[in-house]
Amino acid sequence: MYDLARKALKLAEKAGAEEAEIYYAASHSTGVNFKKDALESAKDRFSEGIGIRAIVNGAVGFASTNSKIKLENAVEVAVAEARVRENDPDWVCLPSNEKYPTVSGIFDKKVEAMELEECIGYALALVEGTKEFPGTLPTSGGFTRAKGRQLILNTNGIEIEEESTAVSGFVDVITVNGHTSTAYDFAVSRSLDIDFFAIGKSASQLALKSNGGIKIEPQKTDVIFHPFAFSDIIEEAFSPSIDADNVQKGRSGLIEKLGEELAVPELSIYDDGMIEAGIETSVSDDEGIPSQRTTVIEKGVLETYLYDSYTAGKAGVKSTANGSRSSYTSPPSVGLRNFIIDYPKTDVIADTQSGIFVNTIIGAHTANSISGDFSVEARNAFTIKDGALDKPVKSLMISGNAFELLKHITGAGFDVRKVGGIITPSIRVSDLSVIG
Amino acid sequence: MTGIMQDIKFHDCRVIEGSSTSIVLDNGKIEEISRNFTRGAGIRALCGGSWGYTAIEGEIDLKQGVEAASKLAFSMNTNTPKEAVELAAVNFPEMMNLPEIRIDPRDVAIEEKVDLLKSIETNAKVKGVNSTKVMYLEAEFKIEYRNSEGLECAYELQNVGFSVSAVASENGVYQAGRESRFGYGYELFEKENVLELAGRAGDTAVELLKAKTPKGGEMPVILDQELAGVFAHEAVGHASEADLVLEGDSILENRIGEQIASPLITIIDDPTLHEFGYYPFDAEGAQSRRTEIISKGVFNSYLHSRETAAKLGGTPGNCRAQGYSMPVVRMSNTFIDNGDARFEEMLEEVRDGMYLIGSRGGQVNTGEGIFQFNAEKGYLIKNGELTELIRDVSLSGKTLEILNQVVLVGNDLKMTAGRCGKAGQLVPVSDGSPHLAISKALLGGA
Repeated sequence: MYDLARKALKLAEKAGAEEAEIYYAASHSTGVNFKKDALESAKDRFSEGIGIRAIVNGAVGFASTNSKIKLENAVEVAVAEARVRENDPDWVCLPSNEKYPTVSGIFDKKVEAMELEECIGYALALVEGTKEFPGTLPTSGGFTRAKGRQLILNTNGIEIEEESTAVSGFVDVITVNGHTSTAYDFAVSRSLDIDFFAIGKSASQLALKSNGGIKIEPQKTDVIFHPFAFSDIIEEAFSPSIDADNVQKGRSGLIEKLGEELAVPELSIYDDGMIEAGIETSVSDDEGIPSQRTTVIEKGVLETYLYDSYTAGKAGVKSTANGSRSSYTSPPSVGLRNFIIDYPKTDVIADTQSGIFVNTIIGAHTANSISGDFSVEARNAFTIKDGALDKPVKSLMISGNAFELLKHITGAGFDVRKVGGIITPSIRVSDLSVIG
Repeated sequence: MTGIMQDIKFHDCRVIEGSSTSIVLDNGKIEEISRNFTRGAGIRALCGGSWGYTAIEGEIDLKQGVEAASKLAFSMNTNTPKEAVELAAVNFPEMMNLPEIRIDPRDVAIEEKVDLLKSIETNAKVKGVNSTKVMYLEAEFKIEYRNSEGLECAYELQNVGFSVSAVASENGVYQAGRESRFGYGYELFEKENVLELAGRAGDTAVELLKAKTPKGGEMPVILDQELAGVFAHEAVGHASEADLVLEGDSILENRIGEQIASPLITIIDDPTLHEFGYYPFDAEGAQSRRTEIISKGVFNSYLHSRETAAKLGGTPGNCRAQGYSMPVVRMSNTFIDNGDARFEEMLEEVRDGMYLIGSRGGQVNTGEGIFQFNAEKGYLIKNGELTELIRDVSLSGKTLEILNQVVLVGNDLKMTAGRCGKAGQLVPVSDGSPHLAISKALLGGA
């Protein structure tokens, strides 16, 4: 299909598109999965397809296919759809060719060349790691490596091609004796710099430490969120409100808040498509806008929303290179790049007299993405006493509001993690309401 | 290759070809019309105790695919040999009972669909609503299944549906109301009063602005059909999936025959119903069939694939996949069966507590048997009467405790269509229940 991308662009113009864009994406992934401590399956997945955006009279049509035979038809359908639609006065134009940054660390030849045997080795390392602490068993998990290739072409001269790789490991662990407790750990990276044995080990250790939890009284207290828990809240309850599309449509809690003090002055947040080896790093976004570093919150003040080319055109500003696609089957929309939470780091648990430490949460996706309200179940939570983790907590509900949370951050750890694209340390928040 | 193939005891292929259309109308403007044409295959091969799986998109060479999957299985089995996987037997499925479709959505002009969405949106835009979004989805696909045992079968299915959401805001407070319906045939839009549903989404958003967030704590509660259905699916259904049981990740392991719930509770999974989780045969060619997971409080059956059915003893028929992904044990249409209580009796029973309505999603930990769901809205119950409207309430607890604390089961079963996301794969499902009264549950609020 790669060879047909340029032809498809010509076909779209011939069919009457005033502007057109071809987005080609291909990937090959290999995964080795285990159930309990036995390897269960190996999976190879080959995916390849083309998405076509066609613009006629300021209206956009979109079609996609993974079949060479259907490609010509898909191009025609995209153009025909554009004709059905009314002119969109907010449409400006597809992006044009610009200067692109150089990015590094997103492609690893070793990952591309990996054989199944190596993948099996890493999956086994995850399993072996869990055995470091007797009394637990993995329930499921796996290792995956992937190689991707993408090509963006449009009638304004954009022609960007890029290759990337990724590896990831995931493990779910359960205790086998006494009270049941579970824990998980995972990591994802562009190259083979992950210690998979350590991932298994840490999940197992956490499941054991969580065993025999106590019940605590409802209270307002300091809560330290592990990067897994904090990134979940940021993604589900905060980031939808800085999406310019939501702002423009009245679905954001941050409308008319630019320039306002939204968070404590120690906090800054950056959206950066260029960091070395980032999971969301690439020369351009998914519609060909050069990647950049955007300051979203500077010393507590909200500086900008995040834009793709359409929402930027509508607002009369420059795109922040946040045009994002989950697959060739969907047109671009606003999405986070590497999203960096920056706060002065200390030994945050040691600095906490009393409170709760929360490793992971469930139910973050049920948050109100407009108001920022959330009510989540904390998992693998511990009480903090005199600067150290004390006792595991059985069951804990935490309710709060993502925007309020940013105003009550009082500390961050040294333990920065890349949770997918969100890069954050542990974060301490004062005065949160918890129900045991 | 011949050498390897001798060790491959079983292989199968699913070839899927289909197309889909989506239309998004956002604040009165068509935001997206998109069409997608796909073709691909998922191929499994079994060698000893190891599975190899290959998924290919586009033009497919099945022979090559089988060889690739076989190589993976062979290599896995050589590197980490383990006990051979047995598969429970399946017969040729009978192809009956496919949903009848009166109006093929493909025969309806796109302009007509857009007009329908516009009138849905107009109805959702009640006074106080300042933002609306309507989505239309239509998909048709053909699945061909064949395996190395000689089983071959195929079916075609199409589905259609819409969702509408409305947002109202006041003094920096934002609240949303949502409704959706999915089913078979464009006649869905005649059968369901979609304009009224749209109005309801708008009304909910506006009402919720005035709603209070109650104080949380332990108290008796009534769940509406949708929220109780989510509980049936998330908390009970997942824990009864035999693959999770075999992983040691289910509280229902070794519980068959035990009284695990109130005798009022019967929970059923039935893929033969013409609800959104319908299928004539599953991703292994096994005939779809009704399973009583819990009968009158007694845990009766897990849900099985061919592999888990052979291991634990049971009947296959619940193995499903999204597109070309590797099939796993999944639910279909899962519901708590009707009891005989009326809603008024429940209010009397609860006296002082909460009535929770709708769901904004939830999660469970099947291994520990705990769950958390957020209700869309609710009412305080005082002296056996519904009083104040409330919002931002969540329900959490232990699955088995809640099952035993059900004190009344209503007679008003209702199903809701949705998509379940186990193993990173979305498949269409529906879940439902009548109203339930529960003597004690942990509610989270302000």
